[in-house]
Amino acid sequence: MNPIITLTLQANLRYLRIASIMACNVAEIFADLACNATDIAEFCHAYELSVSEAFTNSVRYAEPSQPEKQVTIHFSSNNSTLAVSIIDTNPQFNPVTQAPDISCYPEGGYGLFLIHRLMDTVSYTRKDNTNILTMTKQATMVHEA
Amino acid sequence: MNISEKTVNHYTILSLQGILNASSAPTLRNYIAGLPEAQSLVIDLEKIEFLDSSGLGALVGIARKKKSSSAVMKLARMNDRVKKVFEITQAYTLFDIYDDVSAAAEA
Amino acid sequence: MKTLLVIREQESAWLLDQFPGIHPLLVPICNKPFIEFLVDFAILAGSEALRIVSDGGLRDVELYCANGSRWGVEISYGNINPADDTYTVIEKNRRFCLKERIMIISGFLFIRYDKKSDYTSLFASLQSGELLRCPHGSISLTGDAASVISPAGTLPFSLVALDSIGKYYELSMEILRSGLNKYVLPGYSSEADCYIGRNVIIPKSAEIQKPVIIGNNVQLLANTVIHANSVIGSNVIIDRDSVISGSIVMDNTYIGEHLEVENKIAAGNLLIDPESGSSIIMEDPHLLTAMTPSRVAGTLLRRVVHTFAATILILIQLLPWLLLRPIVGMQGKWKRKREPYYTALAGKNVTLTSTYIESNGSLSTLAKTLALDRFSLLFKVLSGELALIGNKPVRVNASIRLLPNRVAGYRPAVFSYAEAEDWPEFCIDTEIVEHYYAVHSNPMKDISMTQKAIFHRTYQNHCT
Repeated sequence: MNPIITLTLQANLRYLRIASIMACNVAEIFADLACNATDIAEFCHAYELSVSEAFTNSVRYAEPSQPEKQVTIHFSSNNSTLAVSIIDTNPQFNPVTQAPDISCYPEGGYGLFLIHRLMDTVSYTRKDNTNILTMTKQATMVHEA
Repeated sequence: MNISEKTVNHYTILSLQGILNASSAPTLRNYIAGLPEAQSLVIDLEKIEFLDSSGLGALVGIARKKKSSSAVMKLARMNDRVKKVFEITQAYTLFDIYDDVSAAAEA
Repeated sequence: MKTLLVIREQESAWLLDQFPGIHPLLVPICNKPFIEFLVDFAILAGSEALRIVSDGGLRDVELYCANGSRWGVEISYGNINPADDTYTVIEKNRRFCLKERIMIISGFLFIRYDKKSDYTSLFASLQSGELLRCPHGSISLTGDAASVISPAGTLPFSLVALDSIGKYYELSMEILRSGLNKYVLPGYSSEADCYIGRNVIIPKSAEIQKPVIIGNNVQLLANTVIHANSVIGSNVIIDRDSVISGSIVMDNTYIGEHLEVENKIAAGNLLIDPESGSSIIMEDPHLLTAMTPSRVAGTLLRRVVHTFAATILILIQLLPWLLLRPIVGMQGKWKRKREPYYTALAGKNVTLTSTYIESNGSLSTLAKTLALDRFSLLFKVLSGELALIGNKPVRVNASIRLLPNRVAGYRPAVFSYAEAEDWPEFCIDTEIVEHYYAVHSNPMKDISMTQKAIFHRTYQNHCT
């Protein structure tokens, strides 16, 4: 894994768009360099959405007692795989999700579910009081003949 | 996010433009809260550049309120990026979705 | 002209029950996904755009058909509700339907047609209204005809409602027996009634009778017989001395030795009798299996490779360990700790002795360079409790609510991938590297990664 860029933002929804635009742009540049077989728009949208979801969760679960909390977004790559980690110091959470029961008109709870569906792999680690949510996606489209 | 409003038949048509995420969803919620509860709505999504689950949650919340007050809420002109979020979450089952605003405002 | 295809989930639910995991529109009929027959017909009828609307998910169909550029037709997708009538469906797609002649195909229908007929001029001259109806759907036209000519006799197409596995089987057989030249079918056809895909291996002793359709990547073994009226999908193996007759073998299926499959549908490990609709799940993988890459086989191979490599390492380390262990121990630099660790199995722990060697003397540095601190752990590889290379074992800790062995891919090991990649500990990248290899590794790569892990220790210790 080669590190690409790390961005640390204050845990505030004001910076949500910065995080997701950044993800979209990193994904675009990466996909462009990695190969041209991928549907680049789709690849970028997956990153834009996933980071938007993860950052929103990080801000939502930040304790209000510590307004100076930060969220770190770290991009790295390996061959044709792009990885992004969202790191925060919030309380531990359970990254295993089920599809929300849509018939009950739920207003939330789609975030991690969307991430799981958009990305190839999602992993969660708790280390030294930080949450690390790592998502990867390969920039090659597996197209059946 | 920008919201522009017009009235066709007995429908209030809200055209949304820009980003609908966790930071702009409250704007939409507040705007709807300012309209009469039983007002039927058509929400035009053509100019939404980006929608995430927080934005979807806001739309679902509005649909639930409209349903409980027997008003109608329809969605019109979803683009591919918006559609993808609806497709993954199966939220399309909760809405009447039109490809044309005036058709939505007629029925 | 444009075509609006209205598919309701309820009408095709039975097919999803029979072949779970594949969208009903993508189920192959004679090796061609069902939706492609409809696309072909829409194009023959002169459509320049096709819109598929459904009250269910269309994601897989969208991934497959995309925007239709493959067929030179513009394909779009829409959502409806189960309760919508035809009028509402048209209203919901008004922009698509506006000012155009629209053919509405409603229902989970197969349309019998003949590619040699001229449907474009026929549809241009047909009067609007319902053209054909069958129990589960209809074809109708809206908009004005260019010049109305009432067609002579019956229409040159007809409908088949796909509503049971029996119908599906009958239809496949009908196409095979009499319709092969009416549709565009995949595969290479050197003679009539015989379509064969790419990369098909047929030994001299095998026998094939027409009419037949065989997909891509198919292997027939010695003395197999494919009797007339069979459809073999893609990625299929038919083992020695087996006989297939009047049957459909779906994609990714293995048929074992000495079997006779007659008038059945074989899909993965399912054997379906199209007449009664009953299906049997074959428990014995030697008879019938789905050919997805087996996790178990991968694990087994990995374990064999890891055990073998660990044995070699133990043999290499044995002598240095016997010599250095007592000396370094006497120096008080050999520190051991027995603690419980999480295993790869949920709810199971393993007690490991972790060794730490203080490397501030030449002998203890040598011991560390030779990775003697991992010597005792290597025996855990032989007993299968640890892998040779994988994740760094996580110590059992009551404060961790999320157990690592509930997270996919956790495999505690003697050496970790992060060590092999030489990432400093306590860095975020360590997690990412381990996660990456947990997903992308294979047993052979594991060996070279172990070598790298050991090499890095040597290198590091010489530098410090």
